[in-house]
Amino acid sequence: MKRRTFFFSMISLCLAAPLAAFGQKGCEPDVEPHRHFLVLAGRSGMFYDKSGPAFPMLIKLDGGRTQIDAIGIYFIQGNRLFGPVPEEVYQEFMKEPRAASDVMLRLEITSAQYERCLKVLRTWERRAREGALLYPNVFMDNILLVKQVTESLDQCGEKINLYKLDWGFEDKISDDNPPPRIPFLFFKEMRRLNETLHVRDEKFQEYRSAAAKP
Amino acid sequence: MHRRNLFANFASDNPSAPKSTFKPHPASLGASHFTNALLRTHENKEVKFYDDLIKGRQVIINTMYANCKGACPLITSKLIKVHNALKDRMGKDLFIYSITLKPEQDDPAAIKMFAEMHGAANMPGWLFLTGDPYDIETIRFRLFRWEHIKFDLDLDLHAGMLRIINDATNCWTNVSPDASMFTILEHISWADPPKSLEQRMEENKAIQERINKEVKQYGYRRTT
Repeated sequence: MKRRTFFFSMISLCLAAPLAAFGQKGCEPDVEPHRHFLVLAGRSGMFYDKSGPAFPMLIKLDGGRTQIDAIGIYFIQGNRLFGPVPEEVYQEFMKEPRAASDVMLRLEITSAQYERCLKVLRTWERRAREGALLYPNVFMDNILLVKQVTESLDQCGEKINLYKLDWGFEDKISDDNPPPRIPFLFFKEMRRLNETLHVRDEKFQEYRSAAAKP
Repeated sequence: MHRRNLFANFASDNPSAPKSTFKPHPASLGASHFTNALLRTHENKEVKFYDDLIKGRQVIINTMYANCKGACPLITSKLIKVHNALKDRMGKDLFIYSITLKPEQDDPAAIKMFAEMHGAANMPGWLFLTGDPYDIETIRFRLFRWEHIKFDLDLDLHAGMLRIINDATNCWTNVSPDASMFTILEHISWADPPKSLEQRMEENKAIQERINKEVKQYGYRRTT
């Protein structure tokens, strides 16, 4: 190899690595050592206004350990509450629903997406704990929570099809429905838009079994 | 004991003597609504939002951010006019608080620079405030929310409102900073503490005298 060619190839090699990293804009690689999931779960028709529990749930399969964080509106003994969802409530929503009154979308997400969603969940957990919710009506807080969680997914140009829950003119869900029903209908629409990305029960069980193996 | 000391001791021990001039209304929403978040002023002093700034006071609150190129400088200059019009009350029973919308960028030095740039840094009773983004968001929603998610996430819309609160009378109102000075001062007066009977009679007497004078001079009442 001539000296000039060698020199140029060395220069281009030195420039290529940082430029390639820069081109990714801090986004994460596709291959993940652990598996992360976001579940949007809801049920309708449980209360007089046809609303029901609706909350986002984050799942991290980390070897033998499974970490689950869920926060939103849930029902206990007929009372509607907003805050971290107890295990006995979110366990009901771990499997795909059979009834039309239920909805569930399970998306596999990257660790960076997981961290972003977890940050949103932790902030709302703190707000619920400290009595620092943003609206006097917890349904509005729940709408804002699901909006922030789902919008945090798309910050690096990921392939999730997002319904814009922004109360604008094109947002028919918010325009045509009372606040208690909005998260459920939003989850339904998100499921329709992301049907191909939904992780079915069998696949999820496979992932769980594989993650549990030493 | 000297007579003077005896009198002074009597006055200070008298339980009916007011200990603090700022007393909240019994129905005030209190710290649970306003929050007692720790904020920092443009002079880098730590203050508790409700206890030190709102409790029992009449306040005008607006939102801004230091590198704002749009409405914030115009609103700040409007508030300087308001301050000048009410300067006898400023820092005594009326206060202005300008809270940053971008606390991540605006440290006390940045908001001080903004205040100095507009000549508002040393005006009595006017504080520029920053703090933890979590606390600022809570305060922003508690004071300025529209009950509409699109509007509430739009920082510019919150910047376009002056919130006027009198915690001593539990009176809340708001006015657009784009309104005329007359309208803004009128809105502030709606939250003023109630006047004494003597004061109101005095004012009514002066108005009646003016009406009588007009009727005598023109044959009809001109003042509305």
